[in-house]
Amino acid sequence: MNHWLDISSTAFQAAFYLYCASFISYAIAVAGKRWSNREPELHNRRWGRIGFALAIAGWVCHLTFFFTRWKGGGHIPTSNMYEFMTFLAMAIVFAFIIVHLIYRNNLLGAFAMPLVVIIVAYAAVFPSEVQPLIPALNNYWLKIHVTTAATGEAFFAVGFAAALVQLLRVIDFSRTDKAGRREQKWVEFVLFFMVIIIGFLVSVFAFRGGGYEAKFQQEKVHIDQQGVEQSVTQTVEYGLPPIVAPYNSEKISMQTYLGIKEPLFDAPAWMNGVNAGRKLNTVIWSLISGAILYALLRLAARKPIAAVIHPHLTDIDPEDLDEISYRAIAIGFPVFTLGALIFAMIWAQIAWSRFWGWDPKEVWALITWLFYSAYLHLRLSRGWQGTRSAWLAVIGFIVVLFTLIGVNLVIAGLHSYAGV
Amino acid sequence: MIHNTKCECGHQNPTGTVLCESCGKPLVEDLPLDTPLEMRYDGAARRSQKQNPAVIDRVWNFFSSVKIAIWLIILTLIGAAVGTIYPQESTFINLDDPASYYKETYGTSGAIYQALGFSRTYESWWFIGLLVMIGTSLVICSLDRVLPLYKALSKQQVRKHMSFLTRQQTVLETDIAADPEKWVADFGAQLKRKRYRVWTDGTALLAEKNRFSRWGPYINHIGLIVFLLAVLGRSVPAWHMDQYVGIDEHQVKQIPGTDYYIGNDKFTVEYYKDEELPDKLKGTARAKLYQTQATLYACTQYCNDDPLHDPVLKPVESHAIEVNSPLEYKGLKLYQYNFEEKVRLIEVKPMLLDTVSGKSYGPFDLKMSDPAEKSQAGPYTLTLRDVYPDFGLDEEGRPMTKSRDFNNPAFVFRITGPDVDEKGELYIYFPMPSASDKGVQQQINASFKKLGSNTGRFNFQVGKMENVTFSQYTTFLNVRVDRAMPYVWVGAGISMIGLVMGFYWHHRRIWLRIDGGRLTLGAHTNKNTYGIRNETASALAKVGIVVDPKALDNRRNTR
Repeated sequence: MNHWLDISSTAFQAAFYLYCASFISYAIAVAGKRWSNREPELHNRRWGRIGFALAIAGWVCHLTFFFTRWKGGGHIPTSNMYEFMTFLAMAIVFAFIIVHLIYRNNLLGAFAMPLVVIIVAYAAVFPSEVQPLIPALNNYWLKIHVTTAATGEAFFAVGFAAALVQLLRVIDFSRTDKAGRREQKWVEFVLFFMVIIIGFLVSVFAFRGGGYEAKFQQEKVHIDQQGVEQSVTQTVEYGLPPIVAPYNSEKISMQTYLGIKEPLFDAPAWMNGVNAGRKLNTVIWSLISGAILYALLRLAARKPIAAVIHPHLTDIDPEDLDEISYRAIAIGFPVFTLGALIFAMIWAQIAWSRFWGWDPKEVWALITWLFYSAYLHLRLSRGWQGTRSAWLAVIGFIVVLFTLIGVNLVIAGLHSYAGV
Repeated sequence: MIHNTKCECGHQNPTGTVLCESCGKPLVEDLPLDTPLEMRYDGAARRSQKQNPAVIDRVWNFFSSVKIAIWLIILTLIGAAVGTIYPQESTFINLDDPASYYKETYGTSGAIYQALGFSRTYESWWFIGLLVMIGTSLVICSLDRVLPLYKALSKQQVRKHMSFLTRQQTVLETDIAADPEKWVADFGAQLKRKRYRVWTDGTALLAEKNRFSRWGPYINHIGLIVFLLAVLGRSVPAWHMDQYVGIDEHQVKQIPGTDYYIGNDKFTVEYYKDEELPDKLKGTARAKLYQTQATLYACTQYCNDDPLHDPVLKPVESHAIEVNSPLEYKGLKLYQYNFEEKVRLIEVKPMLLDTVSGKSYGPFDLKMSDPAEKSQAGPYTLTLRDVYPDFGLDEEGRPMTKSRDFNNPAFVFRITGPDVDEKGELYIYFPMPSASDKGVQQQINASFKKLGSNTGRFNFQVGKMENVTFSQYTTFLNVRVDRAMPYVWVGAGISMIGLVMGFYWHHRRIWLRIDGGRLTLGAHTNKNTYGIRNETASALAKVGIVVDPKALDNRRNTR
C-alpha cells in the first residue's frame, strides 16, 4: 500500500463518521424541537446548521478519499463495486448539498444523510483494494460515463428521501379504512426494508469482526463459444455462516455456529450469477438480522416506526416536500439521460462495437429512464401529484438500486466486473 | 355536448378551449371554484378535441393522449424487464437448438420462457411494435400540443380576467396606496431587472421570462424521433454490417462481402504481474492488454476469387486494435472481440536431406495454406501429392484429415531428380516439431519403403527457428459498418438539448391588474413554483410590499 492510499482510507473513515455525526445532528434538529428549555425555531436552525456543516466536512473528506485514491491507484476509483458505491454516496451528498441550498429544509438532511451512511457502509462490505484495470475499462469514458450516471442517480436518491419524508408526513394513523391501512402498511414496509439493509450491514460487519470464515469448492459447468461444455472448479469463501451452500459444491472448511456444522441446504441451480450461493446466504442473513432488529425497535417504541417519526414532521407542508422531490428528480433526469444512456452508448460503441446490445445493465438503465419518464408525464395529469407521485419516487429509487446492485448480483452480464 | 365557446369578453374560442384565449377566464368548470386552474397548454384547444371525429381523427386522438403514452412507456418497461430474466438468445454465438439449451440450463421455467419467445424479446414483433407506437405517440402528442401552445403564447393578452388571476398557484391580493400607473411602472422595472420581458396595458401588467423552456420537451421529442428512426435505419442492409473474423498471426483474410482484406501482423496479450496486483488477486491471470497489430488492405485487382490470379492488395490503414480502440477506415470499423491461444504453423522452410550422401538441399518454401504444387530443392523436384491439414488415421489405419484447419498438417511429396527412380519416391512430412508426429512420419515413410514407394534415402529438416513462421494466437475481430450512427448521435444530442432547456429553465409569467386601488397578482410557472414565489416576493419587496413567499402560495389556502 502506498502513501496516497493510506491517506485515502483514513479520509474515508473520517467521512463516514462525519456523515454519521451529520445525521445525528439533523435528527436532533428535527426530533429535539420540543425538548424543554429551548426555542423550537432556534433549536432547529442551530442543529440544522451543525448538521449541514458536518455534511460538508464529511464531503470534503470524501473528496479527499476520492482524489488520493485516484492518485495512489493510478486510475479513477469507479471501477468496481466498492469504488462505485463510495462514489454514489459522494454524489448523493453533492445532490443533497445542491437541493439543500435551494430549499434549506432540515428534514431533507435528516433523511438523506442516513441514506448516505447506509450506502457508505454498504460500500465497505466489498473488497476495498485497488484493482488494476482490465482492458475493457481502460478508457477515459470510464471517468465520464460512471460519474455522470451516478450523479443523475444521486439526484433520484435525494428525490426518494424527500418523497419518503412526504409519505411519512401525510400518513394518517387515525384512518382505519382499507386504503388508509394499506398506506400505513406500505410506508411501514419501506422502513422495514431499510431496517433489513441495516440488518445486512450489522451481520456482515459483526461476523467480519469475529473473523468468521467458511470455504466451499464449487464446480460450475458452462458452454463455451465453440459449444463445448467446460467445467471450472472454484473456491467460494463465505464471511457469513453458510445457511445455504453454493450449488453443486463440496465443503472445504466451516466454523460451527450455534452448534450447526453443515449448511442447511443448497442454492438452486438457476441462480447463475457470480457467487450466487453466497449472495443468497447473505440475503437470508440480512432478513433474519433485519427482522430481529425491527422486532427490537417495535418492542422499544410499542408502535409502528412510521408512527414514531410522523409527529416530528409537522412543520413542513406536504406541497413543499412534493416540490423538493419533483425538483430533485427533474434536476437528475437530464444528467441521468446523459450519463447512463448517451455516454453509455458512446462508450459501448467504442468498446463493444455497438451502442446498444440489450445487455441486462443497459436494459435496466433504460427501464430506470422509462420509469422516470412515466413519472414526469404522470405529473402532468391531475391527481398524480402529492402522495401518488411520492410513491413513484420511492419505487423509482428501488428501480435505480436494482439497476446498480441487483443486476450485478442476480443477473450476470457484460457489466459483471462490477460485481461483488 | 356543445359548449357555448364565446367568452364574456367577446372572444370566440375553438371547441375544447379550457381558458379563454383572450382574457383567460375559465370556460370549462370541471374543477372546484376555489382550486388553482389547470394551466396545461395555457388551456388552449387541441386538435384531438375536435368534434365529430373521423377514423383518422380517432387514430390521432388515440396517440395524442398522454395517458396512452404513459401506458406505452409502462408496457415497454415491463417488456424490457421480462427480457432480462434469462439471457437472450442473441448473446450466444453458436446456439443451434435454443429450446433444448434453455430447458437444460434453466429448467422448466427456462423452457416456457423460450417457448413464449421471451428469449428473443427485443427482436419480437410486439416489442418493436411498442417502440414504433411510442414513436408515433411522440410525434402526435407533440404536434397536438405544441401548435396550440405556440399560438396561445404568441398572442397573449395583458389584462386577464379576475378569476384567471385569483386562481393561479401564486396569488397576491392587496391594497395599493400609490398611483396605480406609477406603481405598475416601478414594479415592471423591478421585474425587468430580473430579466423578465414586461408588457403593460394601463394598470395591467404581464411579465414573462424563459418562454423558450416550454419548447424543451418538444425538442426532446424530436430528438427521440430522430433517434428511433436512425435505429430503424440500421435494419437497411447496406447501412449495416456485423461480422466476426478469426485471423491467425501473419495471416491475411478477406472481410466477407467487401473488397477489404485484414491482416493480423501480431497479437499481444499481457497480464498483470503479481507485484501490480492486490493480495487477493495475486496469482490470477488478470488481463492488462489485448492487442492486434492489424493492417487493412484494399483489393485493387482480381478481387473476386479469380482462379488465375492472386488478388492485388494495397495497405490502406494500420492500427493497433485494442478493446476500446478499433481500427476505422471509411465507415468500416474493426473491434477486438476475442482471442484464442493456439499455435499454428504458417510457413516452414525445410531442407531436403540426402541421408546417403549426407548432403542437404534447399531450403524450399512450404506454406501451410495454399502450398505450391512443385518445389525445387537443389536438383530435386518435390511434387505435392497429398495434404492433410489436420492429420489423423481412420478406423482402418489409413491417413485422413480431421478438419480443414491447419492444426497438425502433413504433406506427401513425390521426389524426382538425379539418381532417383523415374516414377519418383514418396515421402510424408510433418512440419510440426512434435515427437509423436516425427514418430508417425518415420512409421509411414517406413511403410512406404516396404511397399517400394521409396528407398528411405530422403528426410526433411528445418534448421533454425527463423525458417519457421508460426502464429501463437488467433485473434477474433468484429467487423462493423453502421452508417446510421451519425443520426443516432444527432438524435441523442437534440434530445439532450431539449431536456436541458426544459428542465433547467422554467417558464415564468406574472400578471397583475389594479382595480380601484386593489392589486390582484397571479403568477404561473410550469415547474418550480417555489422559485417563482421567491422571485415575486423579492420584486414586491423592492416596491415596498413585504410578503412572505409562502403566503403567496394559493394552494395552501385551499387545503
